[in-house]
Amino acid sequence: MLPADCSLRLVAELRAALDACGEQQRQLDQSLRVCRRLLRAWEPTRPAAPEPTPGPEPNEEDPSPACAPSLQDLTELELLTQALEKAVRVRKGISKVGEGDKAPSLKPRTVATPPATTTSVPPQAPGQAGNGTSETRSPRGIRQPKVPARSLPEHRLLSTRERTSLGRGARATRPSLGDQQVTPSVTPLVPEAFTLKEKGTLLRLPMAFWKAASQNAHLWAQIDSTQASDSANAAARTRFLLKMQAAVSCQACGSLRTGGRLKELPGKSQHGMTREALGSAAWATVLAPTDCVQEYRCLLLLEGLQATVGQCLHWLQELRKGGADAAWSPQPLLYSSTQELQTLAALRLRVAMLDQQLHLEKVLMDELLPLVRTQRPCCAAVCRAVHSLLCNGGQHFPTVLQDEPAD
Amino acid sequence: MGRRRRPAGRAAGTGTGARALPEAIAALCRTLPAGPGPETFRRAKFDLPEAAPALWRLLSCVLSPRSEADTTGSLTREAQVRLVKSAMRSQGYPRPALFQLPEDGSQGSRELLLALSWLLARGPLIEQLLARTRVRLGDEMPVCECEDLACGRASPGLPTPSKDADSCVDVRHVQWLMGKLRFRWRSLISSHQEHCALLSKIHKYTQGCHSDRNLGHLSVAETELLRDPEGGQQLLQMLEFENVRLEAALEWRRLEQVFWQWMDTVLGASPPDSPNAGSQPTFLPSIPERVAGELELVSRELQALQKELQEAVEVRRASWEAQVRGQGPEWSAEMRASKEAVGQELAALWQAWEREGSLAQPHRPNRLVRSEAGAPPGQGLWATEAIGALRSKEACLEAVLCWLQGQSQQELAKLAGALPGVIWIPPHGR
Repeated sequence: MLPADCSLRLVAELRAALDACGEQQRQLDQSLRVCRRLLRAWEPTRPAAPEPTPGPEPNEEDPSPACAPSLQDLTELELLTQALEKAVRVRKGISKVGEGDKAPSLKPRTVATPPATTTSVPPQAPGQAGNGTSETRSPRGIRQPKVPARSLPEHRLLSTRERTSLGRGARATRPSLGDQQVTPSVTPLVPEAFTLKEKGTLLRLPMAFWKAASQNAHLWAQIDSTQASDSANAAARTRFLLKMQAAVSCQACGSLRTGGRLKELPGKSQHGMTREALGSAAWATVLAPTDCVQEYRCLLLLEGLQATVGQCLHWLQELRKGGADAAWSPQPLLYSSTQELQTLAALRLRVAMLDQQLHLEKVLMDELLPLVRTQRPCCAAVCRAVHSLLCNGGQHFPTVLQDEPAD
Repeated sequence: MGRRRRPAGRAAGTGTGARALPEAIAALCRTLPAGPGPETFRRAKFDLPEAAPALWRLLSCVLSPRSEADTTGSLTREAQVRLVKSAMRSQGYPRPALFQLPEDGSQGSRELLLALSWLLARGPLIEQLLARTRVRLGDEMPVCECEDLACGRASPGLPTPSKDADSCVDVRHVQWLMGKLRFRWRSLISSHQEHCALLSKIHKYTQGCHSDRNLGHLSVAETELLRDPEGGQQLLQMLEFENVRLEAALEWRRLEQVFWQWMDTVLGASPPDSPNAGSQPTFLPSIPERVAGELELVSRELQALQKELQEAVEVRRASWEAQVRGQGPEWSAEMRASKEAVGQELAALWQAWEREGSLAQPHRPNRLVRSEAGAPPGQGLWATEAIGALRSKEACLEAVLCWLQGQSQQELAKLAGALPGVIWIPPHGR
């Protein structure tokens, strides 16, 4: 058993690490859910591409008779596509059952549809009732090249077969398959199975959002640039801080009130500030030591400051080599393949993990080595455990053999 | 006093003080997250107690650590007061009056106003607060491990729980925790890999959709808003709200000088103070400007300073050595004590400097953009470069870890060798 303070520290450190990991995992799981949902079939809320037909919200309209033939063609194409998709999915096995997000071949989610069709629509919607997404007139959104029209009965047959085979799966079967009267007059209803894979390139961001987003980017860029040329304000701030410091009276030799931020002071107007800062605040305290002790302390302080300033200079050198501007607005991080992205993510995590391991190693060495040194006689089991912790991060154990001397 | 729109042609900060000050304060209130009204500032100058609660709330919101920023609204007044005091102490606030304010948070509005100004003067506080709650439109991936690290350490300031018999654990429990941690890392890494694959797909499938040609494709957040209009509305509202705060921040920057002039009067109005017994040295503000010419100037300043210090040291040393000759044996104890005290002060100085030095360079957020290899990056950063930098960091850390483990192993081998009647076989490879 480890002593109390040692135990507390080790457990605290490990628990903090575990909690951080757990929190990251939780957030990542949430992102994963969102991503997976996006890659399945869903319905975009806007027309997928700018079209010549007017009206951004065509959902409520009845299709004009003039459009009917092309709508029909496109709808039939959609039906065929969906049916084929479903066939592929069913063949692979229904794995994601029960979520209700997976688009059934006909997604009659159209709520505000022309009344004539409502009767045939709802029964075919397993699990769709919960979806509140608005529908879209998908045929309008897709300006596909003309496709030869197919005979309707064939489609219905296909869909029927499709639905039957689906029904054999875990999904609730719709008993009245004959109900699905997808007649041409009802074509506007038929929602498509939209997947990013096929039609992602047709999406467009809404105007209002795009305006706000570009305004946002513009403002952040302005914030960056005003920071870069901010010397007048910087002078005012520095003066205020010094005044505040001066209002707190300096005592004798014990404390020094300037610091290593000198490198941050920009601009010619700051030179006087630097001098002043050091001159007034600092030297006043070291000029008049009253006795031997204070004399010594002065000396030590000055030597220490000398070392600090040397370090500052060194740091400054490094900084000038780097030359990166601090900025608040995001910069693009360009990648060209999934592999690259994965490598980047893996490496970053590995570096974080290594850093954590390093920290834990130091903590363990701090706590465990003294114990092992001082415990006499040293128990072999404890030694073995400590060795595994310290030398392998707990992954491997040394082997310990009892070697009784032969009598 | 209203929030008058300034005419566009007016030069920055040179408006008459009487007109510009209310606008400056109003801009400040609009940009701060839990911003009090401008009245609060005026009341605080005269140390009126009505202004205190709002300022305590504001400071506790501003100072709370990143992960808990949302919950400060639910803290009690006393909890807010404690949080503010401890945070200001750890940042090295020089005025002790703040720490003497009563816990019920009913007084001290002027002191709080000074504390807020101190925070504003020291660093890019407004920008940091805005960045903390920034609406993330793109898919972001940090290229450094800083954020991960900040969360994964046990905070040193935690009060140690009482030590009782139950808190003793077996070393096997520690081993178990380590194993659990390793497992969690593995899961995390594999989840990240899946995430990357999905992101890559989404980016590929939406190529050419984005209204911004430089970005080219949609991010998850943008695609999501197309899928879910309600969520999209919320996102839009958050964006618009942030735009308002950003505009207020820019206006604040234009009018800031007037505020500092006013704060001088506030400072003048408050009684002078004696420093804390253990107060830390404060530091001049961090302004993240990295213009090469100015660095050069600062560097020359520092060199001149170093020369001055060198001369001062020589003089002091000579005079001290003359003095110390006459001292007796008890002097060495005094010397040691002095050395320790000064050493501590210098260490505190150095530590705070280092900590702020690393914080002074906030890492820029990165938005993932899928792009053809070989295209010019423009303003951006290629993943391959980031990968290269990370690889060298990885190698460095691995080397240090190996060395540390080697040290432990040597020591343990020695100890184990001293065990009677036992043969010690290290695991394979070591």
